[in-house]
Amino acid sequence: MNLLAVEHVDTGYGPVAVNRDVSLTVGQNGIVTILGPNGAGKTTLLRSIAGLVKPRRGTVTFDGRDVTALHADEKATLGVVMVPEGRHVFADMSVRENLLLGAYCRKDRDAVEADLALMENYFTILAKKRGAKAGTLSGGQQQMLAIARGLMARPRILLLDEPSLGLSPLLVSELQGIIIDVREKFRAAVLLVEQNAGLALSVAEQGYLMNSGRIVASGGIEELQQSSVMQELYLGKRAQAKGAL
Amino acid sequence: MDIFVQQLVNSLSVASVTILIGIGITLIFGLAGIVNFAHGEFLMVGGMATWFMVGAGMNFFVALVFAGLLVGALGFAAERCLFRFTLNRPMNGFIMSIGLSVILQHAVIRVFNEFQKSITDPVGLVWTIGGVDVTAMRAIVVAITAVIVAITYFGISRSRYGMALRASVSDRDTAELMGIPVRRYVTGVFIYGSLLAGIGGALMISLFPITPFTGSVIIIRGFAVSLIGGLGNVGGAVVGGLVLGLVDGLSAGYGYPEWTDAYSLVVMILILVLRPQGLLGGTLGPKAS
Ligand SMILES: Nc1ncnc2c1ncn2[C@@H]1O[C@H](COP(=O)(O)OP(=O)(O)O)[C@@H](O)[C@H]1O
Ligand SMILES: [Mg+2]
Repeated sequence: MNLLAVEHVDTGYGPVAVNRDVSLTVGQNGIVTILGPNGAGKTTLLRSIAGLVKPRRGTVTFDGRDVTALHADEKATLGVVMVPEGRHVFADMSVRENLLLGAYCRKDRDAVEADLALMENYFTILAKKRGAKAGTLSGGQQQMLAIARGLMARPRILLLDEPSLGLSPLLVSELQGIIIDVREKFRAAVLLVEQNAGLALSVAEQGYLMNSGRIVASGGIEELQQSSVMQELYLGKRAQAKGAL
Repeated sequence: MDIFVQQLVNSLSVASVTILIGIGITLIFGLAGIVNFAHGEFLMVGGMATWFMVGAGMNFFVALVFAGLLVGALGFAAERCLFRFTLNRPMNGFIMSIGLSVILQHAVIRVFNEFQKSITDPVGLVWTIGGVDVTAMRAIVVAITAVIVAITYFGISRSRYGMALRASVSDRDTAELMGIPVRRYVTGVFIYGSLLAGIGGALMISLFPITPFTGSVIIIRGFAVSLIGGLGNVGGAVVGGLVLGLVDGLSAGYGYPEWTDAYSLVVMILILVLRPQGLLGGTLGPKAS
Protein backbone atom coordinates (compact mmCIF):
# COMPACT_ATOMS: atom_id res chain seq x y z
CA MET A 1 0.00 0.00 0.00
CA ASN A 2 1.13 3.54 -0.68
CA LEU A 3 2.07 5.72 2.22
CA LEU A 4 0.80 8.84 0.52
CA ALA A 5 -1.68 9.12 -2.33
CA VAL A 6 -2.76 12.38 -3.92
CA GLU A 7 -5.73 11.96 -6.23
CA HIS A 8 -7.12 14.49 -8.68
CA VAL A 9 -6.19 17.46 -6.57
CA ASP A 10 -6.96 21.03 -7.63
CA THR A 11 -5.56 23.95 -5.66
CA GLY A 12 -5.55 27.72 -5.90
CA TYR A 13 -5.54 31.02 -4.09
CA GLY A 14 -8.75 33.03 -4.34
CA PRO A 15 -9.49 33.47 -8.04
CA VAL A 16 -6.10 32.03 -9.07
CA ALA A 17 -6.12 28.35 -9.97
CA VAL A 18 -2.73 26.71 -9.47
CA ASN A 19 -2.80 22.89 -9.57
CA ARG A 20 -5.14 20.98 -11.85
CA ASP A 21 -5.97 17.33 -11.46
CA VAL A 22 -2.73 16.29 -9.80
CA SER A 23 -2.31 12.66 -8.78
CA LEU A 24 0.79 11.07 -7.33
CA THR A 25 1.85 8.40 -4.89
CA VAL A 26 4.74 7.81 -2.53
CA GLY A 27 5.39 4.28 -1.35
CA GLN A 28 6.50 3.21 2.13
CA ASN A 29 10.15 4.25 2.33
CA GLY A 30 10.01 5.77 -1.13
CA ILE A 31 12.00 8.74 -2.31
CA VAL A 32 9.94 10.55 -4.88
CA THR A 33 10.62 13.84 -6.58
CA ILE A 34 8.51 16.51 -8.19
CA LEU A 35 10.50 18.50 -10.72
CA GLY A 36 9.37 21.56 -12.52
CA PRO A 37 10.22 25.12 -13.46
CA ASN A 38 9.66 28.10 -11.21
CA GLY A 39 5.97 28.91 -10.82
CA ALA A 40 4.82 25.44 -11.87
CA GLY A 41 2.83 24.99 -8.66
CA LYS A 42 5.16 22.63 -6.79
CA THR A 43 5.13 24.58 -3.52
CA THR A 44 1.37 25.00 -3.62
CA LEU A 45 0.92 21.27 -4.10
CA LEU A 46 3.26 20.49 -1.23
CA ARG A 47 1.44 23.00 0.99
CA SER A 48 -1.84 21.32 0.17
CA ILE A 49 -0.41 17.93 1.11
CA ALA A 50 0.94 19.40 4.36
CA GLY A 51 -2.38 21.07 5.13
CA LEU A 52 -1.51 24.75 4.80
CA VAL A 53 -3.68 25.07 1.68
CA LYS A 54 -7.00 23.28 1.33
CA PRO A 55 -7.36 21.34 -1.90
CA ARG A 56 -10.39 22.53 -3.85
CA ARG A 57 -11.02 19.12 -5.25
CA GLY A 58 -9.58 15.67 -4.91
CA THR A 59 -8.25 13.74 -1.95
CA VAL A 60 -5.05 13.25 -0.02
CA THR A 61 -4.73 9.85 1.61
CA PHE A 62 -2.03 9.10 4.14
CA ASP A 63 -1.48 5.59 5.39
CA GLY A 64 -4.89 4.56 4.16
CA ARG A 65 -6.68 7.43 5.86
CA ASP A 66 -8.34 10.39 4.15
CA VAL A 67 -6.50 13.44 5.50
CA THR A 68 -7.64 15.97 2.90
CA ALA A 69 -9.44 18.21 5.36
CA LEU A 70 -6.93 18.09 8.21
CA HIS A 71 -4.96 21.16 9.29
CA ALA A 72 -1.20 21.23 9.06
CA ASP A 73 -0.67 20.72 12.80
CA GLU A 74 -2.90 17.63 12.76
CA LYS A 75 -1.03 16.23 9.78
CA ALA A 76 2.31 16.84 11.46
CA THR A 77 1.06 14.87 14.43
CA LEU A 78 0.22 11.99 12.09
CA GLY A 79 3.73 12.12 10.62
CA VAL A 80 3.39 14.29 7.50
CA VAL A 81 6.02 16.97 8.05
CA MET A 82 7.08 19.67 5.61
CA VAL A 83 10.37 21.52 5.49
CA PRO A 84 9.33 24.74 3.77
CA GLU A 85 11.02 26.46 0.88
CA GLY A 86 13.41 29.11 2.13
CA ARG A 87 14.05 27.18 5.37
CA HIS A 88 11.88 29.36 7.63
CA VAL A 89 13.85 28.67 10.77
CA PHE A 90 12.64 30.63 13.81
CA ALA A 91 15.32 33.28 13.49
CA ASP A 92 15.08 34.82 16.97
CA MET A 93 15.20 31.48 18.71
CA SER A 94 18.19 29.32 19.46
CA VAL A 95 19.16 26.30 17.38
CA ARG A 96 18.19 24.09 20.28
CA GLU A 97 14.78 25.72 20.64
CA ASN A 98 14.19 25.27 16.92
CA LEU A 99 14.93 21.58 17.25
CA LEU A 100 12.67 21.24 20.29
CA LEU A 101 9.87 22.95 18.40
CA GLY A 102 10.21 20.30 15.71
CA ALA A 103 9.30 17.75 18.37
CA TYR A 104 6.29 19.72 19.61
CA CYS A 105 3.78 17.28 18.16
CA ARG A 106 5.31 14.21 19.76
CA LYS A 107 3.76 12.35 22.62
CA ASP A 108 6.96 10.51 23.62
CA ARG A 109 8.62 13.43 25.40
CA ASP A 110 11.21 11.18 27.00
CA ALA A 111 12.67 10.21 23.65
CA VAL A 112 13.00 13.82 22.52
CA GLU A 113 16.18 14.47 24.46
CA ALA A 114 17.78 11.40 22.87
CA ASP A 115 16.74 12.55 19.41
CA LEU A 116 18.22 15.95 20.10
CA ALA A 117 21.54 14.24 20.71
CA LEU A 118 21.02 12.14 17.60
CA MET A 119 20.52 15.26 15.45
CA GLU A 120 23.50 17.03 16.95
CA ASN A 121 25.51 13.94 16.30
CA TYR A 122 24.41 13.70 12.69
CA PHE A 123 24.43 17.43 11.85
CA THR A 124 27.58 18.27 13.77
CA ILE A 125 27.34 21.96 12.98
CA LEU A 126 24.12 22.12 15.04
CA ALA A 127 25.98 20.90 18.12
CA LYS A 128 28.52 23.68 17.72
CA LYS A 129 25.82 26.28 17.22
CA ARG A 130 23.44 24.89 19.84
CA GLY A 131 22.93 28.17 21.68
CA ALA A 132 23.19 30.51 18.69
CA LYS A 133 20.13 32.30 17.32
CA ALA A 134 19.02 30.45 14.19
CA GLY A 135 19.01 33.72 12.28
CA THR A 136 22.77 34.05 12.66
CA LEU A 137 23.44 30.75 10.83
CA SER A 138 24.57 30.67 7.19
CA GLY A 139 22.10 29.61 4.51
CA GLY A 140 23.49 26.10 4.38
CA GLN A 141 23.45 25.75 8.15
CA GLN A 142 19.87 27.01 8.25
CA GLN A 143 18.89 24.37 5.70
CA MET A 144 20.47 21.66 7.84
CA LEU A 145 18.63 23.04 10.85
CA ALA A 146 15.33 23.11 8.97
CA ILE A 147 15.75 19.47 7.95
CA ALA A 148 16.85 18.44 11.44
CA ARG A 149 13.90 20.31 12.93
CA GLY A 150 11.59 18.42 10.58
CA LEU A 151 13.20 15.12 11.56
CA MET A 152 12.72 15.90 15.24
CA ALA A 153 9.01 15.29 14.63
CA ARG A 154 9.91 11.68 13.71
CA PRO A 155 8.00 12.04 10.47
CA ARG A 156 6.80 9.10 8.44
CA ILE A 157 7.12 11.24 5.35
CA LEU A 158 9.26 14.35 5.00
CA LEU A 159 8.16 16.87 2.39
CA LEU A 160 11.22 18.84 1.26
CA ASP A 161 10.63 22.02 -0.73
CA GLU A 162 13.70 23.00 -2.75
CA PRO A 163 16.30 22.26 -0.08
CA SER A 164 19.12 22.95 -2.55
CA LEU A 165 18.00 26.53 -3.14
CA GLY A 166 20.95 28.88 -2.69
CA LEU A 167 23.36 26.16 -1.56
CA SER A 168 26.89 25.77 -2.92
CA PRO A 169 27.58 22.70 -5.13
CA LEU A 170 29.51 21.17 -2.26
CA LEU A 171 26.56 21.48 0.10
CA VAL A 172 24.19 20.18 -2.56
CA SER A 173 26.22 16.99 -2.80
CA GLU A 174 26.16 16.75 1.00
CA LEU A 175 22.39 17.15 0.81
CA GLN A 176 22.27 14.11 -1.44
CA GLY A 177 23.67 11.95 1.34
CA ILE A 178 21.33 13.51 3.88
CA ILE A 179 18.23 12.78 1.83
CA ILE A 180 19.29 9.15 1.44
CA ASP A 181 19.86 9.03 5.20
CA VAL A 182 16.41 10.44 5.92
CA ARG A 183 15.20 7.12 4.66
CA GLU A 184 18.03 4.86 5.80
CA LYS A 185 18.72 6.30 9.25
CA PHE A 186 15.60 8.23 10.12
CA ARG A 187 13.13 5.85 8.47
CA ALA A 188 10.98 8.40 6.70
CA ALA A 189 9.78 8.46 3.13
CA VAL A 190 10.70 11.58 1.16
CA LEU A 191 8.77 13.73 -1.27
CA LEU A 192 11.36 16.08 -2.72
CA VAL A 193 10.40 19.16 -4.71
CA GLU A 194 13.27 20.52 -6.77
CA GLN A 195 14.24 22.72 -9.64
CA ASN A 196 17.73 21.27 -9.39
CA ALA A 197 17.29 18.20 -11.53
CA GLY A 198 20.77 16.91 -10.79
CA LEU A 199 20.08 16.46 -7.09
CA ALA A 200 16.56 15.11 -7.59
CA LEU A 201 17.51 12.57 -10.23
CA SER A 202 20.43 11.32 -8.18
CA VAL A 203 18.40 10.43 -5.09
CA ALA A 204 14.84 9.69 -6.21
CA GLU A 205 13.44 6.42 -7.53
CA GLN A 206 10.22 7.84 -8.85
CA GLY A 207 9.60 11.24 -10.34
CA TYR A 208 6.92 13.57 -11.55
CA LEU A 209 7.37 16.51 -13.83
CA MET A 210 5.10 19.45 -13.23
CA ASN A 211 4.39 22.32 -15.56
CA SER A 212 1.70 25.00 -15.29
CA GLY A 213 0.10 23.27 -12.35
CA ARG A 214 -0.25 19.86 -13.99
CA ILE A 215 1.73 16.66 -13.99
CA VAL A 216 3.06 16.36 -17.52
CA ALA A 217 5.26 13.28 -17.13
CA SER A 218 5.90 10.63 -14.52
CA GLY A 219 7.53 7.30 -13.92
CA GLY A 220 10.65 5.61 -12.68
CA ILE A 221 13.55 8.03 -12.59
CA GLU A 222 15.34 6.55 -15.63
CA GLU A 223 12.16 6.51 -17.59
CA LEU A 224 11.37 10.08 -16.63
CA GLN A 225 14.83 11.23 -17.59
CA GLN A 226 14.41 9.71 -21.04
CA SER A 227 10.92 11.07 -21.61
CA SER A 228 10.58 13.58 -24.39
CA VAL A 229 8.69 16.13 -22.25
CA MET A 230 11.52 16.09 -19.74
CA GLN A 231 14.17 16.49 -22.42
CA GLU A 232 12.27 19.31 -24.00
CA LEU A 233 10.84 21.17 -21.07
CA TYR A 234 13.50 20.81 -18.51
CA LEU A 235 16.75 19.10 -19.31
CA GLY A 236 17.09 20.74 -22.72
CA LYS A 237 18.08 24.04 -21.23
CA ARG A 238 20.20 22.51 -18.52
CA ALA A 239 21.97 20.08 -20.81
CA GLN A 240 23.08 23.00 -22.93
CA ALA A 241 24.31 24.96 -19.99
CA LYS A 242 26.07 22.21 -18.10
CA GLY A 243 26.77 19.54 -20.69
CA ALA A 244 25.13 16.15 -20.32
CA LEU A 245 23.55 15.44 -16.98
CA MET B 1 10.60 63.03 49.74
CA ASP B 2 7.60 61.41 51.48
CA ILE B 3 5.35 62.97 48.90
CA PHE B 4 7.59 61.67 46.17
CA VAL B 5 7.45 58.08 47.46
CA GLN B 6 3.70 58.29 47.82
CA GLN B 7 3.40 59.62 44.30
CA LEU B 8 5.60 56.77 43.14
CA VAL B 9 3.39 54.12 44.73
CA ASN B 10 0.33 55.87 43.38
CA SER B 11 1.82 55.99 39.91
CA LEU B 12 2.81 52.35 40.08
CA SER B 13 -0.70 51.34 41.09
CA VAL B 14 -2.17 53.26 38.18
CA ALA B 15 0.51 51.83 35.90
CA SER B 16 -0.47 48.34 37.08
CA VAL B 17 -3.93 48.57 35.60
CA THR B 18 -2.51 49.88 32.34
CA ILE B 19 0.12 47.15 32.24
CA LEU B 20 -2.49 44.43 32.73
CA ILE B 21 -4.54 45.70 29.84
CA GLY B 22 -1.45 46.36 27.74
CA ILE B 23 -0.23 42.77 28.09
CA GLY B 24 -3.54 41.47 26.76
CA ILE B 25 -3.58 43.89 23.84
CA THR B 26 -0.01 43.13 22.90
CA LEU B 27 -0.38 39.33 23.15
CA ILE B 28 -3.56 39.24 21.11
CA PHE B 29 -2.10 41.53 18.48
CA GLY B 30 1.18 39.67 18.33
CA LEU B 31 -0.41 36.30 17.68
CA ALA B 32 -3.70 37.02 15.97
CA GLY B 33 -2.95 40.42 14.41
CA ILE B 34 -6.21 41.63 15.89
CA VAL B 35 -6.31 45.06 17.45
CA ASN B 36 -9.13 44.45 19.89
CA PHE B 37 -10.77 47.77 20.59
CA ALA B 38 -13.26 46.11 22.94
CA HIS B 39 -10.44 45.17 25.33
CA GLY B 40 -11.14 48.34 27.34
CA GLU B 41 -14.76 47.28 27.74
CA PHE B 42 -13.56 43.87 28.89
CA LEU B 43 -11.81 45.70 31.71
CA MET B 44 -14.87 47.81 32.43
CA VAL B 45 -17.06 44.68 32.57
CA GLY B 46 -14.57 43.19 35.03
CA GLY B 47 -14.85 46.30 37.19
CA MET B 48 -18.65 46.36 37.03
CA ALA B 49 -18.87 42.68 37.87
CA THR B 50 -16.62 43.28 40.86
CA TRP B 51 -18.77 46.19 41.96
CA PHE B 52 -21.87 44.01 41.72
CA MET B 53 -20.37 41.07 43.58
CA VAL B 54 -18.85 43.20 46.32
CA GLY B 55 -22.21 45.00 46.63
CA ALA B 56 -23.85 41.60 47.09
CA GLY B 57 -21.55 40.97 50.02
CA MET B 58 -18.69 39.04 48.45
CA ASN B 59 -15.13 39.48 49.60
CA PHE B 60 -13.22 41.70 47.16
CA PHE B 61 -10.45 39.22 46.48
CA VAL B 62 -12.92 36.45 45.74
CA ALA B 63 -14.80 38.84 43.47
CA LEU B 64 -11.53 39.65 41.72
CA VAL B 65 -11.02 36.01 40.85
CA PHE B 66 -14.57 35.69 39.58
CA ALA B 67 -14.26 38.91 37.56
CA GLY B 68 -11.14 37.50 35.91
CA LEU B 69 -12.90 34.22 35.11
CA LEU B 70 -16.02 35.96 33.85
CA VAL B 71 -14.12 38.24 31.51
CA GLY B 72 -11.91 35.34 30.45
CA ALA B 73 -15.09 33.55 29.42
CA LEU B 74 -16.22 36.68 27.63
CA GLY B 75 -12.94 36.72 25.68
CA PHE B 76 -13.37 33.04 24.86
CA ALA B 77 -16.86 33.69 23.52
CA ALA B 78 -15.70 36.72 21.52
CA GLU B 79 -12.90 34.74 19.92
CA ARG B 80 -14.98 31.67 19.12
CA CYS B 81 -18.04 33.55 17.88
CA LEU B 82 -16.45 36.59 16.24
CA PHE B 83 -12.73 37.02 15.84
CA ARG B 84 -11.89 33.58 14.56
CA PHE B 85 -13.74 34.53 11.41
CA THR B 86 -11.57 37.57 10.85
CA LEU B 87 -8.15 36.02 11.52
CA ASN B 88 -7.09 36.50 7.93
CA ARG B 89 -8.64 39.95 7.71
CA PRO B 90 -7.39 41.92 10.70
CA MET B 91 -9.08 45.13 9.54
CA ASN B 92 -12.47 43.43 9.69
CA GLY B 93 -11.61 42.24 13.17
CA PHE B 94 -10.69 45.76 14.20
CA ILE B 95 -13.98 47.25 12.97
CA MET B 96 -15.91 44.40 14.54
CA SER B 97 -14.17 45.05 17.87
CA ILE B 98 -15.29 48.69 17.79
CA GLY B 99 -18.84 47.46 17.32
CA LEU B 100 -18.41 45.03 20.17
CA SER B 101 -17.13 47.79 22.47
CA VAL B 102 -20.25 49.90 21.89
CA ILE B 103 -22.49 46.88 22.41
CA LEU B 104 -20.80 46.06 25.72
CA GLN B 105 -21.12 49.66 26.94
CA HIS B 106 -24.80 49.64 26.21
CA ALA B 107 -25.31 46.21 27.67
CA VAL B 108 -23.79 47.40 30.95
CA ILE B 109 -25.95 50.54 30.91
CA ARG B 110 -29.04 48.37 30.35
CA VAL B 111 -28.15 45.92 33.09
CA PHE B 112 -27.07 48.61 35.58
CA ASN B 113 -27.14 52.29 34.58
CA GLU B 114 -24.80 54.93 33.24
CA PHE B 115 -23.70 56.33 36.61
CA GLN B 116 -20.31 55.87 38.08
CA LYS B 117 -19.78 53.00 40.49
CA SER B 118 -17.30 52.60 43.27
CA ILE B 119 -16.57 50.30 46.14
CA THR B 120 -15.07 51.14 49.50
CA ASP B 121 -11.38 50.41 49.87
CA PRO B 122 -11.40 46.62 50.34
CA VAL B 123 -8.46 46.69 52.74
CA GLY B 124 -8.85 50.13 54.26
CA LEU B 125 -5.39 50.22 55.79
CA VAL B 126 -2.51 52.59 55.54
CA TRP B 127 0.88 51.03 55.92
CA THR B 128 3.83 53.01 57.11
CA ILE B 129 6.82 51.80 55.17
CA GLY B 130 10.14 53.42 56.03
CA GLY B 131 8.37 56.41 57.53
CA VAL B 132 6.15 56.88 54.50
CA ASP B 133 2.40 56.34 54.57
CA VAL B 134 1.23 54.08 51.77
CA THR B 135 -2.35 53.06 51.10
CA ALA B 136 -2.26 49.29 51.54
CA MET B 137 -4.62 48.57 48.65
CA ARG B 138 -2.38 50.45 46.26
CA ALA B 139 0.62 48.40 47.33
CA ILE B 140 -1.46 45.22 46.94
CA VAL B 141 -2.46 46.24 43.42
CA VAL B 142 1.21 46.68 42.55
CA ALA B 143 2.11 43.34 44.11
CA ILE B 144 -0.65 41.41 42.32
CA THR B 145 0.41 42.96 39.03
CA ALA B 146 4.06 42.13 39.67
CA VAL B 147 3.16 38.49 40.25
CA ILE B 148 1.07 38.36 37.07
CA VAL B 149 3.83 40.01 35.06
CA ALA B 150 6.37 37.52 36.38
CA ILE B 151 4.14 34.52 35.62
CA THR B 152 3.46 35.82 32.13
CA TYR B 153 7.08 36.60 31.43
CA PHE B 154 8.47 33.28 32.61
CA GLY B 155 5.61 31.40 31.02
CA ILE B 156 6.48 32.90 27.67
CA SER B 157 10.25 32.74 27.94
CA ARG B 158 10.69 29.39 29.69
CA SER B 159 7.78 27.02 29.20
CA ARG B 160 7.18 24.72 26.27
CA TYR B 161 3.88 26.50 25.60
CA GLY B 162 5.60 29.87 25.68
CA MET B 163 8.16 28.64 23.20
CA ALA B 164 5.41 27.42 20.87
CA LEU B 165 3.64 30.75 21.33
CA ARG B 166 6.77 32.68 20.34
CA ALA B 167 7.22 30.43 17.32
CA SER B 168 3.60 30.99 16.30
CA VAL B 169 4.02 34.73 16.61
CA SER B 170 7.14 34.79 14.47
CA ASP B 171 6.01 32.38 11.73
CA ARG B 172 2.52 31.03 11.88
CA ASP B 173 2.60 28.66 8.93
CA THR B 174 5.88 27.08 9.92
CA ALA B 175 4.66 26.71 13.49
CA GLU B 176 1.67 24.77 12.17
CA LEU B 177 3.98 22.61 10.08
CA MET B 178 5.74 21.67 13.34
CA GLY B 179 2.44 20.48 14.74
CA ILE B 180 1.72 23.52 16.90
CA PRO B 181 -2.07 24.02 17.04
CA VAL B 182 -1.85 27.74 16.37
CA ARG B 183 -5.61 28.29 16.30
CA ARG B 184 -5.84 26.89 19.82
CA TYR B 185 -3.08 29.23 20.91
CA VAL B 186 -5.04 32.15 19.47
CA THR B 187 -8.03 31.12 21.57
CA GLY B 188 -5.79 30.66 24.60
CA VAL B 189 -4.22 34.07 24.24
CA PHE B 190 -7.65 35.67 23.91
CA ILE B 191 -8.78 33.98 27.11
CA TYR B 192 -5.61 34.90 28.98
CA GLY B 193 -5.57 38.52 27.77
CA SER B 194 -9.24 38.90 28.70
CA LEU B 195 -8.69 37.33 32.10
CA LEU B 196 -6.02 39.94 32.78
CA ALA B 197 -8.41 42.68 31.65
CA GLY B 198 -11.01 41.35 34.10
CA ILE B 199 -8.50 41.37 36.94
CA GLY B 200 -7.38 44.83 35.83
CA GLY B 201 -10.98 46.01 36.05
CA ALA B 202 -11.35 44.64 39.56
CA LEU B 203 -8.10 46.27 40.65
CA MET B 204 -9.13 49.52 39.04
CA ILE B 205 -12.44 49.78 40.86
CA SER B 206 -10.59 49.13 44.12
CA LEU B 207 -8.75 52.42 43.43
CA PHE B 208 -11.15 54.63 41.46
CA PRO B 209 -14.80 54.82 40.53
CA ILE B 210 -15.60 53.58 37.04
CA THR B 211 -18.40 54.23 34.58
CA PRO B 212 -19.64 52.23 31.58
CA PHE B 213 -17.46 54.54 29.48
CA THR B 214 -14.22 53.92 31.36
CA GLY B 215 -13.24 51.30 28.80
CA SER B 216 -12.95 53.73 25.93
CA VAL B 217 -10.54 55.88 27.92
CA ILE B 218 -8.47 53.03 29.25
CA ILE B 219 -8.15 51.40 25.82
CA ILE B 220 -6.24 54.41 24.52
CA ARG B 221 -3.84 54.07 27.40
CA GLY B 222 -3.61 50.33 26.75
CA PHE B 223 -2.69 50.92 23.12
CA ALA B 224 -0.28 53.66 24.14
CA VAL B 225 1.44 51.26 26.50
CA SER B 226 1.69 48.48 23.93
CA LEU B 227 2.94 50.83 21.24
CA ILE B 228 5.46 52.57 23.47
CA GLY B 229 6.94 49.22 24.44
CA GLY B 230 6.67 47.68 20.99
CA LEU B 231 3.41 46.06 19.89
CA GLY B 232 3.56 42.29 20.31
CA ASN B 233 6.26 42.45 22.98
CA VAL B 234 5.13 41.58 26.51
CA GLY B 235 8.22 43.04 28.18
CA GLY B 236 7.50 46.16 26.16
CA ALA B 237 4.01 46.46 27.59
CA VAL B 238 5.46 46.39 31.10
CA VAL B 239 8.08 49.01 30.31
CA GLY B 240 5.50 51.09 28.44
CA GLY B 241 3.10 50.86 31.38
CA LEU B 242 5.78 51.96 33.82
CA VAL B 243 6.79 54.92 31.65
CA LEU B 244 3.20 56.07 31.22
CA GLY B 245 2.35 55.43 34.87
CA LEU B 246 5.29 57.42 36.11
CA VAL B 247 4.63 60.31 33.74
CA ASP B 248 1.02 60.29 34.90
CA GLY B 249 1.67 60.05 38.58
CA LEU B 250 4.50 62.52 38.69
CA SER B 251 2.72 65.03 36.48
CA ALA B 252 -0.30 64.75 38.74
CA GLY B 253 1.92 65.45 41.71
CA TYR B 254 4.19 68.09 40.29
CA GLY B 255 2.63 69.48 37.10
CA TYR B 256 -0.88 70.52 36.27
CA PRO B 257 -3.02 67.52 37.25
CA GLU B 258 -5.77 68.44 34.82
CA TRP B 259 -3.29 67.80 31.98
CA THR B 260 -2.38 64.29 33.18
CA ASP B 261 -3.83 62.46 30.18
CA ALA B 262 -2.20 64.87 27.80
CA TYR B 263 1.27 64.39 29.29
CA SER B 264 1.22 60.67 28.84
CA LEU B 265 -0.09 60.91 25.31
CA VAL B 266 2.56 63.50 24.45
CA VAL B 267 5.16 61.06 25.73
CA MET B 268 3.62 58.32 23.61
CA ILE B 269 3.68 60.48 20.49
CA LEU B 270 7.28 61.54 21.12
CA ILE B 271 8.44 57.96 21.59
CA LEU B 272 6.63 56.76 18.50
CA VAL B 273 8.05 59.58 16.38
CA LEU B 274 11.59 59.04 17.62
CA ARG B 275 11.43 55.26 17.86
CA PRO B 276 8.61 53.89 15.70
CA GLN B 277 9.24 50.25 16.64
CA GLY B 278 8.68 51.08 20.32
CA LEU B 279 11.18 51.10 23.16
CA LEU B 280 11.91 47.38 23.17
CA GLY B 281 10.96 46.71 19.55
CA GLY B 282 7.82 44.80 18.68
CA THR B 283 6.76 42.26 16.15
CA LEU B 284 4.83 43.63 13.23
CA GLY B 285 2.13 41.11 13.95
CA PRO B 286 1.57 38.07 11.79
CA LYS B 287 2.20 38.47 8.10
CA ALA B 288 -0.97 38.62 6.08
CA SER B 289 -1.21 35.41 4.10
N1 LIG C 1 -0.09 33.08 -1.69
C1 LIG C 1 -0.33 33.12 -3.03
N2 LIG C 1 -1.37 33.86 -3.48
C2 LIG C 1 -1.63 33.90 -4.82
N3 LIG C 1 -0.93 33.26 -5.76
C3 LIG C 1 0.13 32.52 -5.36
C4 LIG C 1 0.47 32.41 -3.97
N4 LIG C 1 1.55 31.61 -3.87
C5 LIG C 1 1.86 31.24 -5.13
N5 LIG C 1 1.00 31.79 -6.02
C6 LIG C 1 1.02 31.57 -7.48
O1 LIG C 1 0.85 30.20 -7.72
C7 LIG C 1 1.67 29.79 -8.80
C8 LIG C 1 2.50 28.61 -8.37
O2 LIG C 1 3.41 29.00 -7.35
P1 LIG C 1 4.27 27.95 -6.54
O3 LIG C 1 3.38 26.89 -6.05
O4 LIG C 1 5.05 28.71 -5.55
O5 LIG C 1 5.21 27.38 -7.69
P2 LIG C 1 6.65 26.70 -7.57
O6 LIG C 1 6.86 26.27 -6.17
O7 LIG C 1 6.57 25.58 -8.53
O8 LIG C 1 7.64 27.72 -8.00
C9 LIG C 1 2.51 30.99 -9.21
O9 LIG C 1 1.94 31.55 -10.37
C10 LIG C 1 2.37 31.92 -8.06
O10 LIG C 1 2.39 33.25 -8.50
MG1 LIG D 1 8.35 26.75 -4.86
